[in-house]
Amino acid sequence: MPIIIVSSDSPDREKEIAEKVAEELGYDLLGPPFLTDVASRRQIPPGKFEEALARRPAILRKVTSRQRCFHLACIQAEVLDRFQSDNTVCWGLAAHLYIFNISHVLKVRILSPGNAANEKNRQRKWSMETFGHDETDPSLFDLVINLDQIDSGEAIETIAGAVTYRKFQPMTYSVKCLSDQTLAARARAELVKSMGPLDIQAQDGVVIVLTRAFNWEKRKKTQAIKEAVGNIDGVMHVEVHFQTPLASGGKENAN
Amino acid sequence: MIQTVDTSKKETIMSKPLEILLLDDEPIVGRRLKPALAKMGCNVEVFENPREAVSRIDQKEFDIVVTDIRMDELDGLQVLDYVQKKSPRTKVIMITGYAKMDLAREAMSKGVFDFIAKPFRPEDLRRIIARAAEALGMPVNMTEPGE
Repeated sequence: MPIIIVSSDSPDREKEIAEKVAEELGYDLLGPPFLTDVASRRQIPPGKFEEALARRPAILRKVTSRQRCFHLACIQAEVLDRFQSDNTVCWGLAAHLYIFNISHVLKVRILSPGNAANEKNRQRKWSMETFGHDETDPSLFDLVINLDQIDSGEAIETIAGAVTYRKFQPMTYSVKCLSDQTLAARARAELVKSMGPLDIQAQDGVVIVLTRAFNWEKRKKTQAIKEAVGNIDGVMHVEVHFQTPLASGGKENAN
Repeated sequence: MIQTVDTSKKETIMSKPLEILLLDDEPIVGRRLKPALAKMGCNVEVFENPREAVSRIDQKEFDIVVTDIRMDELDGLQVLDYVQKKSPRTKVIMITGYAKMDLAREAMSKGVFDFIAKPFRPEDLRRIIARAAEALGMPVNMTEPGE
């Protein structure tokens, strides 16, 4: 059965709708409490993952940009991993901003009554700055429900009905897409702490890393990447590609 | 979660083999998949031309149709539509080298049994065929002779 991601311009509404949908459908609920377990398993100090997702301006953050990237990468890897078992309703983990093109993931946006324009601008700015996507853009979602016109009971019925549509059921292709994205996310979480953000794709156990390096450090970097990623469960082969500096142009293969 | 049923551990009584039509305009697909499916004990007819495939569907009811999506003259969704009108019980499986979420959702909403992106291994398709057979009430043995 499908995975449902509930997102809202109001955290309280998001939690309320997600909990009720999970109860209505008998699905598991995945939300911010999950981050405590993840932090414990990864030996990250408590509160760091919550801090990474906190919607506050960069100047008020207490961690470096790279640390935050690492925490966000861990969250993404863990959430995608949890999505391998479906029948889940997810809220409060910004999953709508980093999970794309999985046909059995139903993304729902709940618009709460009276949301001010400046609040909307703040959300847009935060989501663009953190994930590169505008969460106030309705085209990001499969279903948008306006609580100004539809009450929460009706919203839950609508979501529960939509989830039964065949188009949102898992199929071999979508399960594989999720599996590939999960593997890429695991690799990213492994590498981002030491190497910063990287372009990483995965397909059928093959992880492809696109990065930059000076000529003299390419061999060492390739080895480091392969060692770090090669031990991840599910990885069969690692390829490293370098984007050459602007002066020489193009892309070269270090393998 | 999609469950693959490995019926090799069950007692199976197969009164007749699965009849499968395989349609793909790339000859190598049929050459590779026909023997892989035949090893499961299926009767497989391979077509590269969708109009010829549809003409054959007019003559014979297949249990499963495996079809590519992007083809000349008729695309896989049109073939699906034809099969559903002709034989609603037939399970249709889509295979494509141009898989996108929107296309997958469209195919599913129109009633395909499953959707798989190329490249895939023959055993991936065999698993889907086994599930389709189970859904038809005709479980097949996944193991090959001699295993």
